Amino acid sequence: MSSRSLLIAAAAFGLMALQAPARADVEPEALVEPVADYKLYVLDNLDAFVGHARDFTRAIEAGDLERARSLYAPTRVYYERIEPVAELFADLDASIDAREDDYEKGVDDPDFTGFHRLEYGLFKRQTTDGLAPYAKRLMSDVQDLESRVQGLTFPPARVVGGAAALMEEVAATKVSGEEDRYSHTDLWDFQGNVDGSQKIFALFRPLIAEEDPAFVRRVEDNFAAVEATLAHYRLAADDPEAGFVSYEKVSDKDRRALVGPVTVLAEDLSTLRGKLGL
Amino acid sequence: MSDQPDTPSRCPFTLDRRRFLQGLGAAGAGVAAGGLGRPARAADDHAVTGAPVSTTTAQAYPFHGRHQQGILTPRPAAGMVVACDVLARNRTGLERLLRTLTERIAFLTEGGTYPERDPAYPPADSGILGPTIAPDGLTVTVSLGASLFDARFGLADARPRHLQRMTGFPNDALEPARCHGDLSLQICANTHDTTLHALRDLIKNTPGLLMVRWKQEGTVPVVPPRDHGPTPSARNYLGFRDGTANPDTDDATLMDSLIWTGGDPEEPAWTRGGSYQVVRIIRNYVERWDRTPLAEQEAVFGRHKASGAPLDGAQEHDTPDYAADPEGRITPLDAHIRLANPRTPGFEKHRILRRPFNYSNGVEANGQFDMGLLFIVYQADLQAGFITVQNRLNGEPLEEYIQPVGGGYFFTLPGVVDTTDYLGRALLEATAT
Repeated sequence: MSSRSLLIAAAAFGLMALQAPARADVEPEALVEPVADYKLYVLDNLDAFVGHARDFTRAIEAGDLERARSLYAPTRVYYERIEPVAELFADLDASIDAREDDYEKGVDDPDFTGFHRLEYGLFKRQTTDGLAPYAKRLMSDVQDLESRVQGLTFPPARVVGGAAALMEEVAATKVSGEEDRYSHTDLWDFQGNVDGSQKIFALFRPLIAEEDPAFVRRVEDNFAAVEATLAHYRLAADDPEAGFVSYEKVSDKDRRALVGPVTVLAEDLSTLRGKLGL
Repeated sequence: MSDQPDTPSRCPFTLDRRRFLQGLGAAGAGVAAGGLGRPARAADDHAVTGAPVSTTTAQAYPFHGRHQQGILTPRPAAGMVVACDVLARNRTGLERLLRTLTERIAFLTEGGTYPERDPAYPPADSGILGPTIAPDGLTVTVSLGASLFDARFGLADARPRHLQRMTGFPNDALEPARCHGDLSLQICANTHDTTLHALRDLIKNTPGLLMVRWKQEGTVPVVPPRDHGPTPSARNYLGFRDGTANPDTDDATLMDSLIWTGGDPEEPAWTRGGSYQVVRIIRNYVERWDRTPLAEQEAVFGRHKASGAPLDGAQEHDTPDYAADPEGRITPLDAHIRLANPRTPGFEKHRILRRPFNYSNGVEANGQFDMGLLFIVYQADLQAGFITVQNRLNGEPLEEYIQPVGGGYFFTLPGVVDTTDYLGRALLEATAT
């Protein structure tokens, strides 16, 4: 059995335990394949995440400030893509991705760890001094996350709901530029959230395309509008790896231009679970 | 409190409170009509968490008419101004926004029941007022800022003649995040929750079309009903009555000349029945004000604090006679009300309709309150109205205690006449290509 068919079998088992609402137009079995494909997507991203996190944390431990700074945003992207699943583990989400606002004592709080603690050191204090323990902790958290996700049965409602949840993330913390306040690499995270949301939508799209073509078109148009605005700010048009300009350089007009499609996506994708009978 | 469980409590507060509640009961419907709170009632297991009762939830103002509600409509206890940026990408989107606002406001101000949805979907409404909503005196007034008349929607040639981006006056300290906007929503109702419910409904139904830029909520202190005589004007957070000198809103001819746009042939025809709206968030330095002698407070305003009467009068609505006091011995020449309206021949055309609310936001870093006046006025001619009056007030002694920090100029759209009409229809038709 391939790993994909194993996953499909596992997901099918998960579904049998689920009390499927009778009104669903979509047969619960139809969800098995996209849920399994989504798990593969998450595992692929986690695999890449572990590799990038290793390079990033090693650069910090080696005291290579420039390299560490350049690896910060490209590493986070993988986490941002799979956030709906990663957030299932609240303890790890807090230690990997909490922001200083989550702590009353802010940056001085001993519980403030993870990416944003490292971001504070690398971009605000501009040194790797004192960051090694945080780097070590991040690496072990990331590995812990990978092993926990491997053993996880993906709840279909959580997977489908993730498409909207990612757009809520964008609307709440990315547009304002508060996520990466020291590095101003918000557009990387923005793209990661949009990628993750778009992937979920693409996987379940065949189940609703015939029934609700206007909805599908509107969602795709709004994803395209967001992508077009993001494309303005890529450092190299044909190289996604090159990344984005600083969020400080994004005009107020473009920030507003992003809010429109992002809000409509959040509103539309919030009905995706209902459309799939979840 | 008594140590003896079998003797009635002798706590004087308890007795006083009971007597107070009985008094409220005697006042009867009047108290409840003011929305003050629950009348006295018999023992009730749910007395603590039961909702406060109001007898004015059914109050409704007709949505359709030549003018929008919320201008001549009696000012209720709660109000807010929400300024938005319009995110629509073209005229089609703008028309969809205006039609959606029309449809939602018509429903909200009349009241009704939201459709039930399959529980697998998000509900149609926030539900904060329950599945069936009462109008509760709600009005929503939609106005447009000068920035909407830029190149985006092809409206530039139809901009109301006096509509412009608000510029700072000498005493202003404008904060960019609390200024301007493409569109303003003035939402007023008998209770704060009704205004918030309406706002959430409007924003939920216009995704991708509106983005909130700033919001300022306000209130007006309520008074008990009176058997005869005019209801006194409400007080601001400096303790003075505000709006006493408003023009008579029952005089339709006067309203047509002072408040409603339409008399000026230079104005675009679509503006007929609209009005210029000025919003100013005016911080009051209340701690300092409360440490100012009463005589000085009264000299600054030109009115008696307790009664609201002008300094040379006895009743709130007495007309001051400045001609008899040319040197300002009774009412200082730089008193607020004397500068704002000198009562000289020919000044009538500069009169404006004040409809403000008081606001209280929180605490500044210095421990002082951020509270003041959500100043809202309407006039047929922005230049002859607010701008002229405010320029007369520049340098007034009151400036020591106040500072405008936000707001904007808007043009309130003409009313929606019937179910085939929508907000801004005349503007879009006048600019159609």
